[in-house]
Amino acid sequence: MGQEVAEIRTAQPDSQPGRPKSDRLLGQAGAVDQRVETVCYHCGERLPVAPVRVALSDEGHLFCCHGCATAARWIRDANLGDYYRLRSDAGTRVDAEAPDLDAWDGEELLAEHAVPVAGGREITVLTDGMRCAACAWLIDRALEHTPGVFDAGANAVTGRIRIAWDPARTRLSAVLGQLAMLGYRPYLAGDPAAERQRVTERRQWLLRAGVAGLGAMQTMMLSEASYLDFGHHMSMPTRDLFRCFTLLVCTPVVFYSGWPFLAGAWNGLKRRHLGMDVLVAGSTLLAYIGSAVVTVSGGPQVWFDAAAMFVFLLLLARLLEQRARRVASAQVDTLARARPAVAVRERADGTREAVPLSALRVGDIACVAVGEAVPADGELLDAQALFEEALLTGESHPLTKARGAPVFAGTHCRETPARLRITRIGTATRLSQLTRLVEQAQAQRPPLAQLADRIGAVFVAGVLLAAVAVYLAWHWIEPSRAFEVTLSLMVVSCPCALSLAVPAALAAASGALARCGILPVQAGALDRLARATDIVFDKTGTLTRVHPVLEAVDVFDGMDEARACAIAAALERDSGHPIAAAFADEEEQLAVEELTLVAGQGLAGRVDGVDWRLGTAPFAAALADDGQLWLGDGTRAVARFSMREGLRPDAANAIRSLEALGLTVHLASGDGAAAVERMAATLRIADARVRQRPEDKLALVRELQAQGRTVAMVGDGLNDAPVLAGADVSLAMGEGAALAQRAADLVLTAPQLMRVPAAVTLARRTGRIIRENFAWAVGYNLIALPLAAMGRVTPGWAAAGMALSSLVVTVNALRLMRRPREENRSWSSC
Amino acid sequence: MVILLMLIPLSLVLLAAAVGAFVWAVRKGQFDDLDTPALDILRDDPPAVPTERDDGAR
Repeated sequence: MGQEVAEIRTAQPDSQPGRPKSDRLLGQAGAVDQRVETVCYHCGERLPVAPVRVALSDEGHLFCCHGCATAARWIRDANLGDYYRLRSDAGTRVDAEAPDLDAWDGEELLAEHAVPVAGGREITVLTDGMRCAACAWLIDRALEHTPGVFDAGANAVTGRIRIAWDPARTRLSAVLGQLAMLGYRPYLAGDPAAERQRVTERRQWLLRAGVAGLGAMQTMMLSEASYLDFGHHMSMPTRDLFRCFTLLVCTPVVFYSGWPFLAGAWNGLKRRHLGMDVLVAGSTLLAYIGSAVVTVSGGPQVWFDAAAMFVFLLLLARLLEQRARRVASAQVDTLARARPAVAVRERADGTREAVPLSALRVGDIACVAVGEAVPADGELLDAQALFEEALLTGESHPLTKARGAPVFAGTHCRETPARLRITRIGTATRLSQLTRLVEQAQAQRPPLAQLADRIGAVFVAGVLLAAVAVYLAWHWIEPSRAFEVTLSLMVVSCPCALSLAVPAALAAASGALARCGILPVQAGALDRLARATDIVFDKTGTLTRVHPVLEAVDVFDGMDEARACAIAAALERDSGHPIAAAFADEEEQLAVEELTLVAGQGLAGRVDGVDWRLGTAPFAAALADDGQLWLGDGTRAVARFSMREGLRPDAANAIRSLEALGLTVHLASGDGAAAVERMAATLRIADARVRQRPEDKLALVRELQAQGRTVAMVGDGLNDAPVLAGADVSLAMGEGAALAQRAADLVLTAPQLMRVPAAVTLARRTGRIIRENFAWAVGYNLIALPLAAMGRVTPGWAAAGMALSSLVVTVNALRLMRRPREENRSWSSC
Repeated sequence: MVILLMLIPLSLVLLAAAVGAFVWAVRKGQFDDLDTPALDILRDDPPAVPTERDDGAR
């Protein structure tokens, strides 16, 4: 991986997407292909200087790496080349090195996550690379071709793959290895019982809606008979026959399909809380019971159709909302990502090995790098370490822990790497116990939706009061119509439109964002992003590529180059800092003690009994700052590493787009003046701040906020975590440190800066649609309620108006899922 | 109007059949993923060799 990254060419900020260069490449590679290929055929990423060329058929294609080329060759050999034609999004970049999947064969893991089925076992795994329906199609076909797999199903909506395999014929790791080779890395999907529960629940909703739909249609058919009987020619027995059958058809609709509303209303009444469900259940039951009484006693009118249609349309609206929300939530499966995929275990001889989580045993010693998540519960072996327990306690300040203190899985190590002795693993960890609670927290509704709910509850109480008043008034004016008018009033007052106005829009927006590779992590993030006036960018890893390339090493004082690199590699190894990747190829591994991170300046630690400092020139060698990375002991320099960092290809475009959206762009970097000013000039950013420590960046954000600005922060590194938390809304780059992602409101799944303006645009459109929805719902009710109270609306029309109102709101929200035409081009890379 | 005595129950039988079919389909997971199976029909008959035309259309 490191090798490939090193090969990625530094993009010229002002260049057209790499055209001249690619033409030259094609010229070198032969003129078979007439089209200009600038991106990898498989994953759609920009091609490196030396792309991999593979002749898939009579024509050749260019690939960014051997991983993608292998995947494409396999797809061709398996006769699945149609994938490239069917897909609507580019694939995922495939790591050339196959991940270590042996842990998946472990009996403990299988006992926990796989269920026995006829002929073998079945497991459901999560994957992060499934981007469109064609991916699910490809996975289905690929698994069909895999010997030993007898049943499989991939679901692009939920990101889950169900695999049933015969353990006698194949190992699970071989099957998953096949998927990983295609770019779909497997993750554990959490508790299998909860997974099954999810599927059952979803199907239950679908069944309710389906039964309601069929029942409502039939109820309508039967009711039509009496509606069309204009001259009242129908005999009494015939009319009663129709009514009896209508009652029969309507009953399951009200009590089976409408059960969620009835149960919700009952719960609400028990807690003395008037929610939507009280009104829904109230009007449904009123219509149903009133009609049933009339059927038995033989009155002039029944309203079975109103009851059935009401239930059906409400269920339909909820189904739409759930579907949109599911798309988003499945992809932001933060719980699955909270647990690290791999733990680093220290062997008896002090060397380290990466092992799958399930291979950790009680008593093992695990090493945790800075910014990484703790794999299992344990006790600290180092004298002191900092852990952030936000996931468990909600407290974002890191806690200092002393030797022997308990450390919990899912918490994040800060500032210094730590070693722990594992005390509890798997389902015994605090994280697993809290999983359910965290899931509930995820279901937490954004502030805007909560406000809508509060308005809704007040509205419902008002409508109920109005209904009583209207009933009494009509009882006095015209007793025969009192019941009908009251029913009309309750049906026509549309609580659904009001309650759907916000959630439908937010859910649709989340879906659209997720499809574009932006994961909304925090509720309410979109609302704040829409109001942002300033945007602060970090430099390293955000505007520039994450991995800088080591260009030159100068050594002083008799130090030799290899030794300097080895020391720097050892210091950087656990830091999670972008610069670490430049040293990742070092083979010689030195042990580091007392490693500390001095934010904004560098790292200090002891290697072979000598204290070293790696970082800025004043910090490492007491020299004047020159923007390069120095190795020294604090007073004396022994080596200087010249790093080159490449500007992201879309940085300039993204910043122009953000300015066009009216945002003020700031640049705050921890780097020296020379590098930052050069970049600010290239990108034409007026406000560039250099040598910013995290506190300085936070102060900048606070200063802007004090001026009444709403600040969005884009960052990726460890240093950015407090700033990301302090800004009004924050975006983290998906390939940055896990810690930064945890603190962010939105995560960009791929390092494409054009997604930032895209997210802002979408957030603003969402805000507009929510306002439209509210205006419609409130306006509709303001007109419909007085009409109904005056007795101008029959229950049938009331049901139609209510349905129309809900549908308008839902359809309006679904407009967010559609990409506007003018954005299609700029988003096509998403 | 005696025919109604037969036609209405008949419609109920049809309704029951429709509900039964729907329940069966949901239980079998027919509605779990509505996008992926739709792609199957777009696939060429094997052997599917990606041609120039295919790539142009993509």
